[in-house]
Amino acid sequence: MDKALRNALKGLTAPDAESRRRAMEPFVRSTFGIFIRHLHRYLGNEVECEDVLEDVYADIWENPEHLRAIDSERQLLRTVYLYYMRKRLREVYRRLNRSSYLSQNDVQNLVAPELGMCDLLSQSELKALLHRMLGKLKARERKALELWMSGMSNRAIANQLETTVGAVKMLEFRTVLKLRRMLKEYCEQD
Amino acid sequence: MGNTHREIQELLADYAGALRDGGLPTFLKSLTREEAKRISESEDFWEATEVVRLMNSAGFGDNVVTPDVGLFISRVDAGIASRTKKAKASTRDRSRAHVDMQ
Repeated sequence: MDKALRNALKGLTAPDAESRRRAMEPFVRSTFGIFIRHLHRYLGNEVECEDVLEDVYADIWENPEHLRAIDSERQLLRTVYLYYMRKRLREVYRRLNRSSYLSQNDVQNLVAPELGMCDLLSQSELKALLHRMLGKLKARERKALELWMSGMSNRAIANQLETTVGAVKMLEFRTVLKLRRMLKEYCEQD
Repeated sequence: MGNTHREIQELLADYAGALRDGGLPTFLKSLTREEAKRISESEDFWEATEVVRLMNSAGFGDNVVTPDVGLFISRVDAGIASRTKKAKASTRDRSRAHVDMQ
């Protein structure tokens, strides 16, 4: 953890509210990128991510108890996700859930799930790991996922692979499950 | 998402697409009762969503970072100021109510 973040964390856990408010600026500067990328994983929408994160920071300012004795970025992300982000993420789609057939519990599992494997990896670690795992897939499987990750629609991927959209969806589904098994094995070894 | 009898692999593809495009609410609203049940009962779907989120993050997570963090900080500060004001107002109301009762 860098010095600026360590100092900001010290200021954030000060007893008086004004010191905590002053410490918020360096804290936001040091953590904004990490937190917003993590939120983007669940919401995929920049505007919603910023709205949620705004509330998360205000919650941290109001009740910073959980941030005492943090000594690594990974521990910080885990604590912030479990104690501050999840609560806010659950609220995001609670209202919408009235018009969805999915149960409240399922919506929560989709939008604010338990921390899963590899969830605490930094962006660069995650990219490197996925790159390595994609390299172990069959050429067609790898291509389907790489094209998807480059932003292509399933129809465009189907054209590239000279197959149907339905076949692409099935290929992606099977490949994602295969990738999950590989990632799980990796995380268990690690 | 016009199809109302989507199989689980189609539902996953639509979830992944919605997550990538920032349109999860549309995906959630598009589900029929039967599809919601299918999702609920499919262990494969839930396992696959975990990887889809990771792929989404690795593929598109970098696009989200706002260049102007300063502007965001002022939003956070305004939120904190508003909470401070509310807390003070509620303390004042409580003490006023206490005086009225006396």
